[in-house]
Amino acid sequence: MKKLISILGLLLILGCEPFVTEFPDTSTAVLYEATSKSNATYNGDNIKVVTWNIRFGIARFPFFGDSCGDSVILDDATIEKNMAAIADSLNAMDADIVLLQEVDVSSKRTGYMDQVQYLLDNTNLNYGCYASMWKADFIPSDGIGRIDAGNAILSKYELTETERIQLRLRTDQDGLTKYFYLRRNIVKAKIPALAQGEKDLFAVNIHATAFATDDTKQKHIDTYVETLSDIDSSGALFVTGGDLNSVPPGSEYDYCLQDMCPGEKYKDENENEIDYHSIDSLTDGPHKEGAYFNNFVGEREILVPLYDTYDAAIDSASYNLPEHFTHGPSTSYEMNDIKYDRKLDYLFTNGIWENTSSKTHQAAWELSDHLPVSAVLNLGGE
Amino acid sequence: MKKIIFYFIIASLVFGETKKWDAHSAYLLPQKRWEMGLFQPFRYGYSESIEYSVHPLWFFVMPNFSLKKSQSDIAGFTSASQYKIVYPTPFLNMIAKEGIMGIIAPEFRMPPMLGLSVSWLMSKNMTGVDLTLNGGLDLGVTLGDLDTRSSIDLPLVYHRLGIYYNSWGIHTGLDVQKNMTQKFTVFFDLDLKFLPGLAEAQTDPDASKFMGEYSLEHKLLLIWNKSENFRVLTGYKFVMGKYPYGSDMRMLPYIPMAETWVPIIEFQWAGEKR
Repeated sequence: MKKLISILGLLLILGCEPFVTEFPDTSTAVLYEATSKSNATYNGDNIKVVTWNIRFGIARFPFFGDSCGDSVILDDATIEKNMAAIADSLNAMDADIVLLQEVDVSSKRTGYMDQVQYLLDNTNLNYGCYASMWKADFIPSDGIGRIDAGNAILSKYELTETERIQLRLRTDQDGLTKYFYLRRNIVKAKIPALAQGEKDLFAVNIHATAFATDDTKQKHIDTYVETLSDIDSSGALFVTGGDLNSVPPGSEYDYCLQDMCPGEKYKDENENEIDYHSIDSLTDGPHKEGAYFNNFVGEREILVPLYDTYDAAIDSASYNLPEHFTHGPSTSYEMNDIKYDRKLDYLFTNGIWENTSSKTHQAAWELSDHLPVSAVLNLGGE
Repeated sequence: MKKIIFYFIIASLVFGETKKWDAHSAYLLPQKRWEMGLFQPFRYGYSESIEYSVHPLWFFVMPNFSLKKSQSDIAGFTSASQYKIVYPTPFLNMIAKEGIMGIIAPEFRMPPMLGLSVSWLMSKNMTGVDLTLNGGLDLGVTLGDLDTRSSIDLPLVYHRLGIYYNSWGIHTGLDVQKNMTQKFTVFFDLDLKFLPGLAEAQTDPDASKFMGEYSLEHKLLLIWNKSENFRVLTGYKFVMGKYPYGSDMRMLPYIPMAETWVPIIEFQWAGEKR
């Protein structure tokens, strides 16, 4: 009888893993290592940092969730090709630290490829840590199925003290949608090999909310600022960045009409169809989720504390220039001949970026709906 | 309405192989007797040697029919053969859609598909324990292009639909039932399903994505026999297997939003046609 109870208990434990994974406020990130490591010994040089939302390797595939597309699952061969191109780009950039957003590690939509492991095995980066933002056995909507997607930090050097910091969930969704929806996070790691004397060096990666129409984005940026401030006040150095899903101060903020899909209308809670807000319209909304950056008071200046406090890779004199746009919806080129039309991706440090080293890699526009941004942290080396 | 139908279909998968009044044994129903359950198919003793069954709720979206025929005893075991046919295409196309309850991505259109299954069942009472062994072959006939990315990678579902991607599969199982008292019965079963084709999976990386290889399903039920015509069952089902994403196991029924397992609750009725 005892054996039977033990077996039943074991089945209950093993067979009752959560269907949708929720996360505590802080937890450790999942560590990765390249199968075969490239030789990397830090010799005091400046270090190069890249941030890139790689859109889970589907490049400009017309995915239903973030563009005017209606497709969900890309074929394996194309994903492999896209990931190889992303790996080649990273190798060409020769970054020491890479901050990635929208990486799949076990998702049906990308053939269950572990993209963190793939990139480590196909680049000169050796170590990684991963924090899931969307993990479920099955999403019963739009054929998404099983999903595990999130943010990752890749590095030539070993990562320690990894941390996944939970960001607040959206409050503008019903309970069922919220249960199956994303749980965005900040992922943070220490890189002991890059410590500058007594100063530890941390990498911090964020993917803030894109589609919330409440104050969730403000909460995400607040948590981000707090996280950076804690590192800064501890006397350590950090390099940070990610997809902040926020436009720079002074930028255009209403992309509703630009991003609108053919024939698309806003549907209210009673399924009534209403035209989206027009810039020229006297009416105030409704707005297209993810295309409007003035949902609450202060949203247009949401990045000011970051720019005021830290060194930005693309400074305030340049952040609204077209050569630093980092995003365009994936179908915007086919529809409107637009490759990129806004800046959503950023790099900051409490150190100093090397002058003239920062770059928005717009040539990579075909590999994602976001473009990589790189910068070199000046550590007094070559 | 669609949600309700879907719920019943998924729920009936959990209970679909529950042994009721010897539903999955080699014994047939007495002539003119019918039995059905909340999540179980309707079974009918057509003659002394033939019993048929159909799942009424499934039928309108997934036409199905099963026939069991008694065979000569073998080595003291009562024997029977069972033949099943199912046409899942309408249901699968119903759930290949955008939005909530879009289980299959909307870009996929499922072609006409026919599932055929033949099983051999052997039953014997050994020292008060009813024992049934079964085994058989499953065939998935697909008339058109079936995209491997349209698979539903969920316990119970993946290996059942796997025959359409793999063309065939085999199944085997063991059922044990013992009457503890006049009113209470304990039922235990183990079912193993294979989707052979490992050789192709190893040489073709794409094939490995849909070669689920195996699933093991186990059920333990306590049955209260209120009368000859009504009974209540409770217990659990445990599923483990290999999926495109790796190995997995799950206790069922599982309520996702509550993140908890709940016991099976099944009601079954029977009667006789006059």
